[in-house]
Amino acid sequence: MDSSLTERPSLDQPRSDLVSEEFADLYQNHSREIYYLTLRLLGDVHKAEDATHDVFLKACRKWDTFRGESSYRTWLYRIAINHCSNLRQSWSNRHLVTNVDEAVWEGATASGDSPLRVLEMKELGDRIQKTLDELSEEYRLLLLLIADEELSYEEIGTLTEQSPDAVRGKLHRARKMFAAMFEQHQ
Amino acid sequence: MKFMKQQKKFESREQQQVSETSSQQKTSSREFASVEELLRYDAKQTTVPPGIAQRLGQSLQKEPRPARSWWRRWFR
Repeated sequence: MDSSLTERPSLDQPRSDLVSEEFADLYQNHSREIYYLTLRLLGDVHKAEDATHDVFLKACRKWDTFRGESSYRTWLYRIAINHCSNLRQSWSNRHLVTNVDEAVWEGATASGDSPLRVLEMKELGDRIQKTLDELSEEYRLLLLLIADEELSYEEIGTLTEQSPDAVRGKLHRARKMFAAMFEQHQ
Repeated sequence: MKFMKQQKKFESREQQQVSETSSQQKTSSREFASVEELLRYDAKQTTVPPGIAQRLGQSLQKEPRPARSWWRRWFR
């Protein structure tokens, strides 16, 4: 990591260094989940690197506006979700993006609660990405957020602007669709 | 006698190969209880490229100094 993000200056140092100290902690504690979210939302390593960089840069610029009404984690997720959504919106204006019709999967036999068998671990990441890409943007986001054990249904509801009950209902369908599509990529 | 020894040696080597193959298969296959468990495993396997921190450090150096320090928020 760059030294400007890891230094631990004393309180006598200039205030920009104090920001650096606090910000370094923020990056160290949350870069993994933000990178993973952007990677799986955007489906590309280089785009995820750019997005993660931009999310933390925006966080630094908005540092003074953070009021502590949510955790840093959900605050960063909010910035990341908006950033990825804007990126995907600008791409979809240029390239028509289609997701698989949900109705096709309504009668899927695989259950979201049944075990997922993986025979070849090497290609697991590609298989997960292919499956996520076939889901709607909303389902993809909900699954990625619920995979973070530190986020509650309430927080996911706040992040996706819906009630916790709506989150639960949609996640049930999202799990089912994911499991059915994942089986097909075996 | 010598032949039997060689045969035993061969059989044990063959058994070892079979057990190695099956253990290789075991390490490359896995079952996940739920979609969440699968995604959590995937997230844990994903490493953040170190280049991001480096780029971020460079970008932050170019940023103008904040008008108000972060800690002043606690004394409003």
